[in-house]
Amino acid sequence: MKLSRRDFTKIGSKIVIGAATGPVIIDALVKKAQASESSPDGDYDWNKHYWGYVVDTTKCIGCGRCANACKRENEVPFDEPVYRTWIERYRKLKDGEMKIDSPNAGIDGFTDDIPEEEINKAFYVPKICNHCENAPCVQVCPVGATYTTNDGVILVDFEYCIGCRYCIQACPYGARYFNLEKGTADKCTWCYHRITKGLLPACVQACPVGARKFGDLKDPESIVNKILDKERINVLKPDLGTKPKVYYLGLDREVR
Amino acid sequence: MQPHLKKAFTLLAIIIIAFIFVRSIAVPDSFGEYGWYRGDSVNELRNQPVEHAGSQACSDVDCHKTLYSIWSESRHKTVNCETCHGPAEKHVSNVRIMPEPANDSRDFCGLCHYKRVARPGEFPQIDPVTHGENLRCAYCHNPHKPWFV
Amino acid sequence: MESLVWGYVYPNEAEIQWSILIVLYPYITGLVAGAFIASSLYHVFGNKEIKPVARFALLTALAFLCVAMLPLLAHLGNPLRGIEIMFTPHLTSAMSGFGYIFSFYFIVVVLEVWLAFRVDIVKTALNSRGWKELLYSALALFSYDISEKALEADEKLGKKLAIIGIPSAAFLHGYVGFIFGGIKANPWWSTPLMPIIFLMSAIVSGIALLILLYLIVIKIKKYPLNYNTLYSLAHYLWIFLIVDVVLELLEIISMKYEALEEIEIIEHLLAEKIAFTFYGIQLTMGALIPFILLLLVGVMKNRDKLKVVMVTISSVFIVIGVFAMRWNVVIGGQEISKSLAGTLTYEPVFFGQEGVLLAIIILILPLIILRVITYILPPWKDMIEENEEAVVSSE
Repeated sequence: MKLSRRDFTKIGSKIVIGAATGPVIIDALVKKAQASESSPDGDYDWNKHYWGYVVDTTKCIGCGRCANACKRENEVPFDEPVYRTWIERYRKLKDGEMKIDSPNAGIDGFTDDIPEEEINKAFYVPKICNHCENAPCVQVCPVGATYTTNDGVILVDFEYCIGCRYCIQACPYGARYFNLEKGTADKCTWCYHRITKGLLPACVQACPVGARKFGDLKDPESIVNKILDKERINVLKPDLGTKPKVYYLGLDREVR
Repeated sequence: MQPHLKKAFTLLAIIIIAFIFVRSIAVPDSFGEYGWYRGDSVNELRNQPVEHAGSQACSDVDCHKTLYSIWSESRHKTVNCETCHGPAEKHVSNVRIMPEPANDSRDFCGLCHYKRVARPGEFPQIDPVTHGENLRCAYCHNPHKPWFV
Repeated sequence: MESLVWGYVYPNEAEIQWSILIVLYPYITGLVAGAFIASSLYHVFGNKEIKPVARFALLTALAFLCVAMLPLLAHLGNPLRGIEIMFTPHLTSAMSGFGYIFSFYFIVVVLEVWLAFRVDIVKTALNSRGWKELLYSALALFSYDISEKALEADEKLGKKLAIIGIPSAAFLHGYVGFIFGGIKANPWWSTPLMPIIFLMSAIVSGIALLILLYLIVIKIKKYPLNYNTLYSLAHYLWIFLIVDVVLELLEIISMKYEALEEIEIIEHLLAEKIAFTFYGIQLTMGALIPFILLLLVGVMKNRDKLKVVMVTISSVFIVIGVFAMRWNVVIGGQEISKSLAGTLTYEPVFFGQEGVLLAIIILILPLIILRVITYILPPWKDMIEENEEAVVSSE
């Protein structure tokens, strides 16, 4: 009795191992490992583009139309404190203190609640996901639900994200938020549905003063390359080594 | 090896094989197509509907050609139609769907033009208290062609 | 709402992302790692004084291991997708290995428990009838060989497993520390010391928990207390506590000494946000007082009653202090804005998916599981036998 059972397990296990492991392991490992060079859709070749973004802080008037357009373009919950882009206001007081704020991301505009006499200098800084070349959010996603596309945009797969929020913790720029409705992380896509159709991101299109510029880094004639070739630019938190692709003109040292 | 240990390890092996098997079924087919992610999600995100059509979409002969040509030569030409009028892609694809009316309140124009200390000084700004006697801005200024009263 | 925020925080930071459940997760895995390492003191290093609680410690580790995954799962936005971490682990992520490391460790602990209790299981299977026979026969995998040769093989494998078990326990928990320590965006987390701090505090909390559970069992079952065992545990507790506190202080001191860009916001955090839980509970109650008490326990002669009280107080304080340490890391780190220009405040809710109530349930659950496991696999005779031997030998 005992012997036959042992024999059964022996034979059974051999059959199972032989039958299951071979094809399954090959399927699981080999197929999943090969990354294709092709583009996901025929009408747009993502290998021909590499997107970049320029923010000219010296032009920004703080009207908040960018943040407004973004919420409406991308169905970002309008009444919740979650934003794919926002405008910060910096006011350096005469006593040396730096006052920073961004009420409702600037969508409702800014009001002067500190008298002008007390202010030394003041300016606005638009913020958006930096679509870092070396993105910490992509690095920390445990399941591969956020990724960098071949054209340099960082996206979130809403069907696959488990909602652990590690990426939100890892983003040094506060660009990510938790989408309560979907139960996933969410963030700016540079309007991937627009730029792959030849349109501009909604925020760039909405800006009335041209403080936001968007273009193809692979195209030497693009507006972004023209600025990068000519101007002195900076990025946010360069010391973290994230290599942002949102480049700033006129960035103050106190902007983080 | 002792038979009981053999059994234990066989059990373990079966569990592991079952896991590998389930995994091979459960992982989406497009996963790993381009990288360590679900390849299909790229197109899913590309298929998100466009909401802002862009000013060019308003310029059609049968639509707002006249207004468009006035605007496109005015100082407001950098202000996209939809920045004031709101997203209009639905209206462009079906004219029966009317976009929301443009906000013509003083405060809306003030988002750009009220005097604010953080704004670049050369940008045209007014003091809402002293300027225009609380009238709607459009009473004097044509938003499509400002600077002509 | 306004008063909860000080200075400037990024607009998306209005909500704290990792709640009390994520405080529990490293706390519970810490208890697991600690209890396991305590049992290894006997199983690997052959410390005879630990023997009365060695198997009990293993069961404690198993009981807490069973729920370690729970707070994480409950916290996910899409809990049903959690298994993806096993299916498609993204290897650049510090979190992705969790599923596999956890599973590996789980297998090691289960196997070790099985080997440690196999004699008992087989004996019970042979001496009982009905469902009980079936249950224990199944647990014995229908192999009833407890000959000397078989047991020798068991012991050999058990020792091997325990040797594998120590690094995997260390890895499991050091790794939890790395999940935080590897986040360069957060200056309060980002330090290479984090894994080792987590590991040391894990061992400390695990041993303290084991002491408490041992004392409770003694009380309930009215067994005679084995002082040698208790003092030996207290001794190890003291040593690991010293290492732990030194590392924690080292982290703070080097942060303050190097005084990088983020120092202002960290000093604000320490002074305004977590002053009580950090200086008060984590350092004074959870480290300084137990350190002194355990030192006294080590040097004092006789006065066993008082020493038991001191060990008990130390253990309670340490278990609470380590929880505060987890709190200060997980919540404290999120209370500073990544703008480095402001702080926000975590307000726990009681009910709901991330509420305090659920946290309490998850903390009580392992105790219930432990009760069930010890019902099936009673480790009690170790506590009595060893004590009798000790009594005999001392006479």
